[in-house]
Amino acid sequence: MIYLDNGATSFHKPDCVRYAMMNALRYCANPGRGGYRQAMNASKVLYDCREKAAAMFDADPEQVVFTSNCTHGLNIAIKSLVKPGSKVVVSGFEHNAVMRPLSAIGAKITVAGRKLFDWEDTLLSFESALKCGVDAAVFTHISNVFGYVLPIVEIADLCKKYNVPFVVDAAQSAGVCPVKLRSLGAEYIAMPGHKGLLGPQGTGLLLCKSLPDPLLYGGTGSNSESYQMPDFLPDRAEAGTANVPGIAGLSAALSYLLNCDSNTIWDREKKAAALCADCLEKEGFCVFKGEHQGGTVSFVPDCDCEFFAEKLTQQGIAVRAGLHCAPLAHISAGTFDTGTVRISFGHDASRKQTERLMKIIKYVHHIYKKI
Amino acid sequence: MKNSMITFRSVTPAQKGEALLNKAGYHCALLRTPRWMQEQGCGYSLQVRSQDVKKCIALFDDKKIMYRKVYLMRENGTAEEIDL
Repeated sequence: MIYLDNGATSFHKPDCVRYAMMNALRYCANPGRGGYRQAMNASKVLYDCREKAAAMFDADPEQVVFTSNCTHGLNIAIKSLVKPGSKVVVSGFEHNAVMRPLSAIGAKITVAGRKLFDWEDTLLSFESALKCGVDAAVFTHISNVFGYVLPIVEIADLCKKYNVPFVVDAAQSAGVCPVKLRSLGAEYIAMPGHKGLLGPQGTGLLLCKSLPDPLLYGGTGSNSESYQMPDFLPDRAEAGTANVPGIAGLSAALSYLLNCDSNTIWDREKKAAALCADCLEKEGFCVFKGEHQGGTVSFVPDCDCEFFAEKLTQQGIAVRAGLHCAPLAHISAGTFDTGTVRISFGHDASRKQTERLMKIIKYVHHIYKKI
Repeated sequence: MKNSMITFRSVTPAQKGEALLNKAGYHCALLRTPRWMQEQGCGYSLQVRSQDVKKCIALFDDKKIMYRKVYLMRENGTAEEIDL
């Protein structure tokens, strides 16, 4: 199988991730509760992971909150910053993990920047919205559908200029390209542990510049006399027992990444996506490609996108089709009715992999054309 | 050997303190805070040699590591709070 659904989750994980998880199941009890060896082992696993994440993302260890996925982190962040009736600006390419919490809260949403791969349009739209006065901004770093890499440094500067707190959705960028809490100045940056960070599903990180409102209330192993959640990080946002085996796996994955040249991975993914996009275009497909594109390409086949994806699956290619939990992105790009087939490259991207992929796509395309 | 206990509000700052002291070459042990020392229930402490405690606290102050209180442990098992 050629796995090209890294936008959903990375697969396979490095071996060290599996070993770390097995070790955790063997040697770790509940962290931050007891004082015996197995409890301290678990506490150490968590702290080691916080330290590595802090080093990777320019934060303090206490600012690293463990979540169960990026969606969990985004919910904490959004519900901390946005109240009913708040005016919020988002980009035209947000995932439902941003749009659904905002809708549920009853925020007044302005969508800024609907043109793919167009930084000028994105920045002008954002500035226009910020000038009108908003309470918060929430935006993705890289579109999960089209691979559009937004100008988050420049958007962050605009937010700071207009004194607007902001949240960054780093679901597709964490572990792949630089994401820095301190230098960006975001209130919160949410990311999954299981995509670019190569950790197991059931893990995520929320980087917190500010103290969030708790999403979940419960035991934290601290301030136990009080019925209130602690007023310090990370405890305030970590009620209940942590996913220790998951975090152990994530910690091993972070070590793996810290020892890799992340520029090389990013470069390979972008080149693979660019080559793929060019080939798809030559084959006659409607492809979405441009400057400021990461390792993801979407295209519209000349048949139902799910049908085409199924044909690819039968030939050993794993991709995702449809709306990718991002209807707003598809509305912005004009692909809401058709959906797209999405190819998202991962850390194993290579020219050879792309060439094999294109051989199969051409084969499927020609077979279908004959039907 | 005389020991001192530095208490923290939760395990994470205690671990941060432990990492700092280990890096600086000071021996310390991460332990549960005795119940009578816990200010708001539950907590972790770092046990250090009393001869090192002032330097350890200075390191914490310098790196803004939040600790709660410092105790001198007596040989009879009791402890007294010390003000550094």
